[in-house]
Amino acid sequence: MKKVTKLRFTVLAAAITTTFVLGCVGQATAGGIPPLASLDTLDVPIPPDNKQSPAKVELGKILFFDPRIGGDASTGCSTCHEPDQGWAWSEDFSRGYPGTVHWRNSQTIINSAFYPRQFWAGSASSNEKQAKSAATGGVAGNGESDIMEARLALIPDYVTRFKDVFGTEWPLITDVWLAISAFERTMNTLGKHEAPLDKYLKGDKSALNEQQIKGKALFEGKAGCIQCHNGALVTDSDYHNIGVPPNKRWEEDGLAQITFRFEQYAKGQTQEGYRKAKSDWGFYYRSKNKWDRGKFRTPSLRYAAYTAPYMHNGVFMSLEEVVDFYNVGGKDEEGRTTLFPENMDKRIKPLGLNDDEKEALVAFIESMSGPEITMKKPTMPPYAPLFTKAQLQAAQEAK
Amino acid sequence: MRAINNWLEKCTNKYDQSAGIYINFLRTEVLFKEFLKSRNTKTKVKTELGGNPMGVRVVTGRSILAAIMGLGVAFSAQAGKYPDIGPLPQLKINKAKAELGKRLFFDKRLSGDAAISCATCHDPKSGYAHPDALSPGYPGNGHFRNAQTVVNAAHKKVWNHDGRIGTNLNDMTREMLTEDYIMNMDMRIMQERVKQDPVYVKMFKDAGYGEPSNGSVRKAIPEYLQTLTSRNSLFDKGKMSASAKKGMALFKGKGGCIQCHNGPLLTDQKAHNTGVAENFDIFLDPNNHQAFIAFTMFQGVPDYMNLKRDPGYYNVTLLKQDIGKFITPQLRELKYTAPYMHNGMIKTLADVVEFYNQGGGKDSRKDSALKPLDLSKAEKKDLLAFLNALSGDQLTSDEHVWKGKYPAEYEVIADWNNVKN
Ligand code: HEC
Ligand code: HEC
Ligand code: HEC
Ligand code: HEC
Repeated sequence: MKKVTKLRFTVLAAAITTTFVLGCVGQATAGGIPPLASLDTLDVPIPPDNKQSPAKVELGKILFFDPRIGGDASTGCSTCHEPDQGWAWSEDFSRGYPGTVHWRNSQTIINSAFYPRQFWAGSASSNEKQAKSAATGGVAGNGESDIMEARLALIPDYVTRFKDVFGTEWPLITDVWLAISAFERTMNTLGKHEAPLDKYLKGDKSALNEQQIKGKALFEGKAGCIQCHNGALVTDSDYHNIGVPPNKRWEEDGLAQITFRFEQYAKGQTQEGYRKAKSDWGFYYRSKNKWDRGKFRTPSLRYAAYTAPYMHNGVFMSLEEVVDFYNVGGKDEEGRTTLFPENMDKRIKPLGLNDDEKEALVAFIESMSGPEITMKKPTMPPYAPLFTKAQLQAAQEAK
Repeated sequence: MRAINNWLEKCTNKYDQSAGIYINFLRTEVLFKEFLKSRNTKTKVKTELGGNPMGVRVVTGRSILAAIMGLGVAFSAQAGKYPDIGPLPQLKINKAKAELGKRLFFDKRLSGDAAISCATCHDPKSGYAHPDALSPGYPGNGHFRNAQTVVNAAHKKVWNHDGRIGTNLNDMTREMLTEDYIMNMDMRIMQERVKQDPVYVKMFKDAGYGEPSNGSVRKAIPEYLQTLTSRNSLFDKGKMSASAKKGMALFKGKGGCIQCHNGPLLTDQKAHNTGVAENFDIFLDPNNHQAFIAFTMFQGVPDYMNLKRDPGYYNVTLLKQDIGKFITPQLRELKYTAPYMHNGMIKTLADVVEFYNQGGGKDSRKDSALKPLDLSKAEKKDLLAFLNALSGDQLTSDEHVWKGKYPAEYEVIADWNNVKN
C-alpha cells in the first residue's frame, strides 16, 4: 500500500473526534476522589471480540518482539519498548524509526491495558487500535499493512500459529493487533510483580517504610497528588495541563524539528497552527478546543521507578526533578512552564514541601513499583520459501 | 459510520472457497476508516482496494488511465507500416528545476529510513538501471522485477513493465517514493526533511517553487528525468557501421522486430507476451516474494497467494489474455542496462537475439508475431551490432549526476521559538 501522498490541513476531522472525546473524559469528577487501591481490585479489561488464550498470548509475545512488524524490518514494538528500559525507552524522546526521532517519550506497555485510552493524549481507544497506529506511524514502525501481512505468510511458524489461534488460512495483519494486545494484557504488575504499595493496601503494614508512609500522607494530603493520580491505577485517566515546558531539543536538534513539524500534519493541525506551534498541543489535537492545548493524560505512577525520563516529552530525568517541578507550581528549574499557562490546572500550585517531604514523596512513588519485569526475548521464527522449485517448474511447464 | 463499521465487522475475513479468492474485509474497513478520518490529509485514499468483496476488479483511476493510454499510443499500425525509428524529439528543460531534481534523485533522505535513493536502483553507471536481474528493494525486502533504465522515460507514455501508470512522471515519481517495497516514504516526513536543508530551501526558491513541498518534489524530479535522454548514439548520428546497417534492415524486415519495437524509442508501448521464462528467485527468496505478494495484494490480483508467475499486464486489465504480457521496452541504452527483460532473465544482448531467433519463449498465450527466424550467424551479429548502435554516451558526468555531498546531519533552524514553522 502506498504512503500518505498529499498534505492538507484538517478541519473536518475535528467534528469526528469530538464525539469520541466526549465519551471518555471526566471519569474522576463525579462522587469525590477514588482512594488508592491495590491493582488486583481491577480486572484486566478483555474486549468481547478479543478473548485471551495462551496460544494467542504466546503469538502476541513473539510478534511484539519481531522487527518485521514495521517498515524496513528493523523496528518492532520491543525496539522502543525495551524490557531492560522499563518496557519503554530511556531517552527524553523515544528513538524513532531509522532516519527519524520520535517527538514524545516512549510509554511503558506495563499496565497499559488498564487505561481506557492509550497514548499520551489518549488518541487510541484500545490496545488493538494503538498497536496498529504504532506499527504504521511514520516515526514509529512506518510499516504498511500489506507488506507486513505478506511477510507473515512467508514465516511457516506464524502461518501455523495464526491458523491455530484465528482459524485463517493466512495470517491477517488485523489479527496481529489482536494477538499483540492479548500479550499486552498479560503485561501488568499483578501477582509476583505486585508493588509494596499493593501489599500495604491489602494489610501488610510492613510493606512500606516510615518514610514512604509519610510520603503517602503527603501524596494524599498537602501535595494533593491524589486529586489526579488516584484509584487502583493511580490515575484519573483524564487530561490536564500541569505546566510541563516544551523540550529544548526542538530548539537544538534538526532531526527533532523535522518530526515536530511532521507531527503537526499527522495530528491534523490547522495551517495556522502548523506555522506557529512551538510545543506539543496534546489533547487539543483530538478535541480542537483551544482550552485543551497542553493537556495530557495523567499517567499511572505504577512501575514508574523503571521508566525515567518522565512526562510526555521526557523533560524530567528523575522523580526528584518531577517533585521539584510540582513543588514550585509547575515550573522546571529554569522557571520554564507550559506555553499555555491559561490552560493550567488550578490545582497545580506551589506546595511548600521541604527537602524531607520531597524525599518522602519520591520514596512513596517508588513504593508503587514492584520487582522489575524481565523477559527472555523469544527467538524469531525464520522465513521459508512458499513454493518448491519443482512446483515452480511445473507452473512454468503449464504456461 | 458506526453502522457501516458494524456491517464490515460482521463480514470480516471470509474465505470464499468457491472463488478461491481471499476476502479481507477488515482491510477494506480499515481503509474506509482511514478515508473518513483523514479525508483532508490523505487524498488518494483507495478507490483501489485490494481483495475486494466480489472478487471483481475495482479498476483504479490510474489503471484505467494506463489502459487508455496504452490504446492511445497504439500507432495506426497497418501491416508493414510502423512509426519510424528516427531520432528523439527535443525536450524543453527548466535548468533550475532540473538541477533541483538532480539533487533529489541522488538523495537518500527521500526514502523512509534514509537508506536508499532513486539512484540506488537506477544507477548512472548501469545506464540508470540496475545490474541485478531483480532490483534491490527497500531495506527489509527485495523486489520481483528488473529495475529498468529511466533514461528516455520522459519520452514515454506508459511506465513500469506492466504499464500500470499511464498518466505522467509525477505519478510515477510518487509511486516510487511511496510504495512500501520501494522507498516507503511518508511524503509529509519527506517534505519536512527537505525543508530542514537550507540548500534545498534556496534551490526550491530559485526554481520558482517557493517553499519546499511534497508537490514540488514530484515536479522537480520529472524535470530532471527530462534531461536523461539518449545522446550521440551512432544511430542518431547516422554513423552506423555496415554491419549495424544490415542489422537495421533485419530489424525492420526478416527479424520482424519493428512490429513491436517502433517509433523513436523503438517501442509501441503496448503489452505483448514474448514467453520470457519466470525468474524463480522471485518465489524462492522470501524477501522478493514478500514484495511480490504485497504488490499483487494491493493491486487486487485474485488468488495472489498462489501465483507462481508475474501476472504482467493482467494486473492492469484482469483479462486472462493479458497474463504474461509486458510493455515493449525501449531499445536505447541497452549496452549499459543488462540483464534484460522484465525479470532480468536474459543476461546478454546476444542471448536476446538468440531468444528471438528461436521464436521467443514458451507460453500458450505467446504473441503470434513471434516465430523462429532462422537467422544466420552473420545476421545475428548484424542485429546485435544494430542494437548496440542504439546506445549513446553514458550520462555519468556531473551534468547528470549530483556529485556534491549531502550533509551528514540536519542543520538546526536557529531561533526556533521565534520563527514561523
Ligand atoms: C519508534 C518507537 C516505537 C515503536 C516502534 C513502538 N512504540 Fe509504542 N510508543 C512509543 C511512543 C513514543 C509512545 C507514546 C506516543 C504518543 O503518545 O504519541 C508509545 C506508546 C505506546 C503505548 C501506549 C501506552 C499508554 O500508556 O497509553 C502502547 C500500548 C505501545 N506504545 C505499544 C506499542 C506496540 C504494540 C508497538 C508495536 C506494534 C509499539 N508500541 C511500537 C514508541 C514506539
Ligand atoms: C492536576 C492533575 C495532577 C496533579 C494534581 C498531579 N499530577 Fe502528576 N501528572 C499529571 C499529568 C497530566 C501528568 C502528565 C503530564 C505531561 O506529560 O505533560 C503527570 C505526570 C506525573 C509524573 C510522570 C509520570 C511519567 O510516567 O512520566 C509523575 C511522576 C507525577 N505526575 C507525580 C505527581 C506527584 C508526585 C504529584 C503531587 C505532587 C502529582 N503528580 C500531581 C496530573 C497531575
Ligand atoms: C528500490 C529500487 C528502486 C528505487 C529506489 C527507485 N526505483 Fe524506479 N523502478 C524500480 C523498479 C524495479 C522499476 C520497475 C517497476 C515495475 O515494472 O513494476 C522502476 C521503474 C521506474 C520508472 C519507470 C520506467 C519505465 O520506463 O517504465 C521510473 C520513471 C522510475 N522508476 C523512476 C524512479 C524515481 C524517480 C525514483 C526515486 C524517486 C525511483 N525510480 C526509485 C526500482 C526502483
Ligand atoms: C511481439 C512484439 C515483439 C517483437 C516482435 C519483438 N519484441 Fe523485443 N520485446 C518485446 C517485449 C514485450 C519485450 C519485454 C518482454 C519482457 O520484459 O518480458 C521485449 C524485450 C526486448 C529486449 C530487452 C530490452 C530490455 O531492456 O530488457 C530486446 C533487446 C528486444 N526485445 C529486442 C527485440 C528484437 C531484436 C526483436 C526482433 C528480433 C524483437 N525484440 C521483437 C516485444 C517484441
